[in-house]
Amino acid sequence: MAGTGGRRGAELDPMDATLDALLPAITTWLPDQRWFAAKDRTIAAVRLVGHQDVTPADAVPAVAHAVIAVSFTDDGPEDRFQLLLGSRPDLPGDLEHAVIGRAGDRVVYDGLADGEISRLLLSLIVSDTTVGSLRFVPEPATEAPIVGPGRPLLSEQSNSSVIYGERAIMKLFRRATPGLNPDLELHRALGRERSGEVAPLLGAIEGELAGDDGPQPMTVAMLQSYAANSADGWSMALTSVRDLLAEGDLRPDEVGGDFAGEAHRLGRTIASVHIELARALGTERLGADGVAAVADWMLERLDRASASAPAVAEQRDAIARVLRGVTAADGLDVQRVHGDLHLGQTLRTPRGWLAIDFEGEPSRPLDDRVRPDSPLRDVAAMLRSFDYAAFHQLAEWETGAEAPAYLQRRAQEWADRNRSAFCDGYAEIAGTDPRDQMAVLRAYELDKAVYEVLYETRNRPNWLAIPLRSMTRLVSAPDGPAGA
Amino acid sequence: MNDGTTSAPTSTHVTEPGHEVVEPSAEDFRRARQLPVEDDWYKRAVFYEVLVRAFADSNRDGFGDLRGLTDKLDYLAWLGVDCLWLPPFYDSPLRDGGYDIRDYRKVLPDFGTVEDFVEFVDQAHARGIRVITDLVMNHTSDQHVWFQESRRDPEGPFGDYYVWSDDDTRYPDARIIFVDTEASNWTYDYVRGQFFWHRFFSHQPDLNFDNPAVCDAMIDALRFWLDLGIDGFRLDAVPYLFERDGTNGENLPETHAFLKRCRKVIEDEYPGRILLAEANQWPADVVEYFGDAEAGGDECHMAFHFPLMPRIFMAVRRESRFPISEILAQTPEIPHNAQWGIFLRNHDELTLEMVTDDERDYMYAEYAKDPRMKANIGIRRRLAPLLDNDRNQLELFTALLLSLPGSPVIYYGDEIGMGDNIWLGDRDGVRSPMQWTPDRNAGFSTCDPGRLNLPIVMDPVYGYQAVNVEAQSNSSASLLHWNRRMIEIRRQHPAFGLGDFHELGGSNSSVLSYVRQTVDADGHQDVVLCVNNMSRFPQPVELDLIAWKDWTLTELTGGVPFPAIGELPYLLTLPGHGFYWFSIQPAQDR
Repeated sequence: MAGTGGRRGAELDPMDATLDALLPAITTWLPDQRWFAAKDRTIAAVRLVGHQDVTPADAVPAVAHAVIAVSFTDDGPEDRFQLLLGSRPDLPGDLEHAVIGRAGDRVVYDGLADGEISRLLLSLIVSDTTVGSLRFVPEPATEAPIVGPGRPLLSEQSNSSVIYGERAIMKLFRRATPGLNPDLELHRALGRERSGEVAPLLGAIEGELAGDDGPQPMTVAMLQSYAANSADGWSMALTSVRDLLAEGDLRPDEVGGDFAGEAHRLGRTIASVHIELARALGTERLGADGVAAVADWMLERLDRASASAPAVAEQRDAIARVLRGVTAADGLDVQRVHGDLHLGQTLRTPRGWLAIDFEGEPSRPLDDRVRPDSPLRDVAAMLRSFDYAAFHQLAEWETGAEAPAYLQRRAQEWADRNRSAFCDGYAEIAGTDPRDQMAVLRAYELDKAVYEVLYETRNRPNWLAIPLRSMTRLVSAPDGPAGA
Repeated sequence: MNDGTTSAPTSTHVTEPGHEVVEPSAEDFRRARQLPVEDDWYKRAVFYEVLVRAFADSNRDGFGDLRGLTDKLDYLAWLGVDCLWLPPFYDSPLRDGGYDIRDYRKVLPDFGTVEDFVEFVDQAHARGIRVITDLVMNHTSDQHVWFQESRRDPEGPFGDYYVWSDDDTRYPDARIIFVDTEASNWTYDYVRGQFFWHRFFSHQPDLNFDNPAVCDAMIDALRFWLDLGIDGFRLDAVPYLFERDGTNGENLPETHAFLKRCRKVIEDEYPGRILLAEANQWPADVVEYFGDAEAGGDECHMAFHFPLMPRIFMAVRRESRFPISEILAQTPEIPHNAQWGIFLRNHDELTLEMVTDDERDYMYAEYAKDPRMKANIGIRRRLAPLLDNDRNQLELFTALLLSLPGSPVIYYGDEIGMGDNIWLGDRDGVRSPMQWTPDRNAGFSTCDPGRLNLPIVMDPVYGYQAVNVEAQSNSSASLLHWNRRMIEIRRQHPAFGLGDFHELGGSNSSVLSYVRQTVDADGHQDVVLCVNNMSRFPQPVELDLIAWKDWTLTELTGGVPFPAIGELPYLLTLPGHGFYWFSIQPAQDR
């Protein structure tokens, strides 16, 4: 094995030399990748942080895992990404689209595009193999289906996945982050609980990331059961809203495309996930100090948003009053939560709903993402997502024009009905109704809405009206979020 | 083949002077010609449910009859159906549409005679059309001589033919099925001074299958009609044959044992004939009626898939494939020689027993806006009014019926989009006379209109002057011609009847896509792709067809070749409520 877990010895090994030679090509290739998050920044330099050969360098195809660090001309923080590099002396035609560049007598390409490579990775996991610093680990209790080769999933954003038949999906985490990825961690925990609310974990690839204090563990990829024949909750909710808005005068409970039954089942699913996470990883109770810290954290986020979003600044004090509502209770039960829940993180399968993607908000540091929080954070986030679904079509209405008031009213009815159905379903399983802690729920929801206002101000001004509207409503509502 | 030597003999029971019970033998009648034995005909067949009394009246008495039906066989052959299913045509007081049988070996006089029936089967067979008939094994009419004898003479040969009890408390776990009319499963008989058991109406006492004589009598009734030449039975209400304490009286092992016995009679004496179970149960329970999977199935050849039907309606209303995907995912594998029977509508109400309470409320709200549209736990409407006469939806629903796994059963009149009459009592609203022409009585009968057994539908949208066979025969764009073409296309592709079913999923939850695939004895593959848009809005869908990379798609209604399947997901766009049927073929087969 050529690699040494990412540390670069005094003597440059041949693969390092190959990769170094490839860096200019990578620099050109990188901005075209969907998972490359920093599209609005200009790359200053790309350097190799570490690599590990998976096969001998002269194998056909050869595979290596590499971590690169990207620095930018704005002198902001570096981004680190994981690559799985395949190389062959000659490239089959169907891999042309994945080419990164030439290195020596070989063509180097994005390895996940190569069915033979995805087949190899799967078999390494199934056979519980260690290659240098890379550990290919099957989950105990589960038997990974041997159904390579994999096929790249094309629609993905922040990570890259390959699907094996309709049995398994392997996700390569593109961001290289030290520590156990919460997606893997929570799926493992939920697997121990035999959760029926997530796609069962089948295995993982774990590696090391070079750091100032020596190598740290890093999650490279995870292998899960594939939820065949599923559709995501976001697009299903939009279908329902579209159906409502196309009707002349029917109310949400009267139209064929009513989503409340699904929202209700989804509430039950999320409550089950919370119960399983609590059972697997424990709960704790924050006292007054802990709750105050949560409030402070929200207020801090508020002030950051105020600085950049005038709409937030205008209502800053009123918002702060609602956010302090989180301290209404003398304590708060916290546990591990999903952390970035929305309709797009749910899958409807023929057997019911699944929650997916437990990474948390990717833009937040890992410490934040793994910090126990109230399950109400997830509930509030789902409530926000129902608002988004309700008003999404109206936001696309036309630039600069506002949708007619009667459509806005009907969208609001849809949101109210489905938020309410979600909470009903949640309460059935959880045993307590999230709306019983209205002040806390409202604070969490407003905290999320403030973040959304900031995000939309920067990224999608067309959509800004959605969280703005909710923010105003949450601030002015006398006794809590409507419909929830 | 049956050589005729196994005919059930005439049976005579003399209970006491003046009370002689004589049952005729098949020997007493001519027999219909037979079609060649084909092992899997029922898997490839399109069935057509026809009510004798509602189809055609040959003798101007206002009642459809067997001779009238025989006269219309050319139409049914033209339509392309393979097998007719006749609900009961036996002698009956008609208090339950003929499901209250008074004599298992006699034809209802209004319909004709056994000789007329044999002629009908013979003529159907001459056109390559098979015939199956309903048989109600669970109960008889209270006017059946067996019941009359049983109540009169508890010690006589029929004394134990029914389920009698001194009180009405036994089997409390058995649900009441006809909740609209019945308060109990027990009714007191003043003649015998005991209560009798009935799972359905109180004028339909349940037979006592614990009495071996009842089992033998029922099997002899099967033989009687099989000897005359029919191709099989639809067995009505099979889950309820036996009763046992501490159970709900459904799907009992004893019931299955009796069905195995019936099947053995078919296998040994009448190869090529079939048993079709009506068991309104969840698929996981219904598969039991196919019998032992190891043996390839040793009870019924077919069973109706009840929960699928309401879910097709729900899926389209919800614009989501999941109501259908869910029920198909919950449907277990069936033995290799078994087949589901699927339908959109039949002579009963749109049954909602197999949906949850929430879903039922929803279905009522969507499809039964007037309380009169409800009956028992269901909705009494025909297909076209259920779909607001929307041609696109009628076509989508029919395309689903003809392509989902199972043999489709078309309800008479739905091929022309007939309407219903919700003002008629019970389930008669969907049993009105077939509309043949715009003439008097819709061409169903030349009798005085006042004599009609049930009135013709006369409303401005569905009335016989607007909706009839003659007019639609003359218009190539009619629903009738469309249905005929679809049946023909289905016939050309064995995958529809015999193929595996594989749902493709896809990111668009409004689109239901599946592949049907079969390989014949010569190794020739037939692969059909069906894509259905449950939404009223146009939809795109990307399908994972990588398993057929480089194969080509040919649309089946027009034969237009579509682009070959490549590396990327296959993109299709569908109009609102649109559907496609494609044949997938290896490139060299083009």
